[in-house]
Amino acid sequence: MLIKVKNNIDEIATICDEVKKFCAENNISEQKAYDIAVIIDELATNIISYAYDDAQEHTFSITLEKDSKQVRIHLVDDGVEFNPLQNGTPDLESSLDDRKIGGLGIFLVQQLSEKVNYAREEDQNKLDVLVNVSEQQEQDQAPESEQKDQGAEPKPEQNKDNKKDEKGE
Amino acid sequence: MEVKAVTEGDILIVTPVGRVDTSTAKSFEEEVMKALAQASKVAISFSEINYISSAGLRVILMAGKKVASTQGKMALINMPEKIFAVFKMSGFDKILKIVPTLEDAKALFG
Repeated sequence: MLIKVKNNIDEIATICDEVKKFCAENNISEQKAYDIAVIIDELATNIISYAYDDAQEHTFSITLEKDSKQVRIHLVDDGVEFNPLQNGTPDLESSLDDRKIGGLGIFLVQQLSEKVNYAREEDQNKLDVLVNVSEQQEQDQAPESEQKDQGAEPKPEQNKDNKKDEKGE
Repeated sequence: MEVKAVTEGDILIVTPVGRVDTSTAKSFEEEVMKALAQASKVAISFSEINYISSAGLRVILMAGKKVASTQGKMALINMPEKIFAVFKMSGFDKILKIVPTLEDAKALFG
């Protein structure tokens, strides 16, 4: 699926509707569809908010592809060079008083995905995100008693190692 | 965005409706902050929220900070599992009170 998006924040809801449609057509579970929507929302919001330093209308693209195990999300914009993966991660251990507001968007993208790559090529920012959807599909097919045990608990520590390798490329 | 607010005893129950993303976060923030100014015990219900991104999480964090600074009490209730997953991932389950129901919030508020 190819989605062409204008640099207008009101486009976010439309993008999420398209993503929902893609996930339904590809039998992706509700939880994974939610994760994919958040990933695309956060990255598209970043592009809309920061990629263009003029007041002109611009268009960028979001491509979604699914194979048997993964969904690949590809975002391409021709805005100013910006690698969102260079931002620091929020301090999850700080108290309510000390917790900084912001910095959560890219963190969520990294936690919800298998891999995130950034590249600057031909004056374009290219973000490539892989989301594993096979595990959830297996859970969906599992007997009810097993599903309860597995639940929809987030597993933030799962992919940290391979993500570190992707950062800063 | 639409945010319902009803009072039950001395608790204000705030129920935002729909999706909270960057395009709706500003009005979500205004409505939540308005509600917080009206009561010292606030329960935010997620029963009618079907989607929240980091823009919405920011508003909830700001609300939590504001309530704490005024010695008020805030609980997040009726949170669907998929939304709770994002809160937990963000570490918000450790710094904010997330409980299943309004009754739990009442017990928490005392």
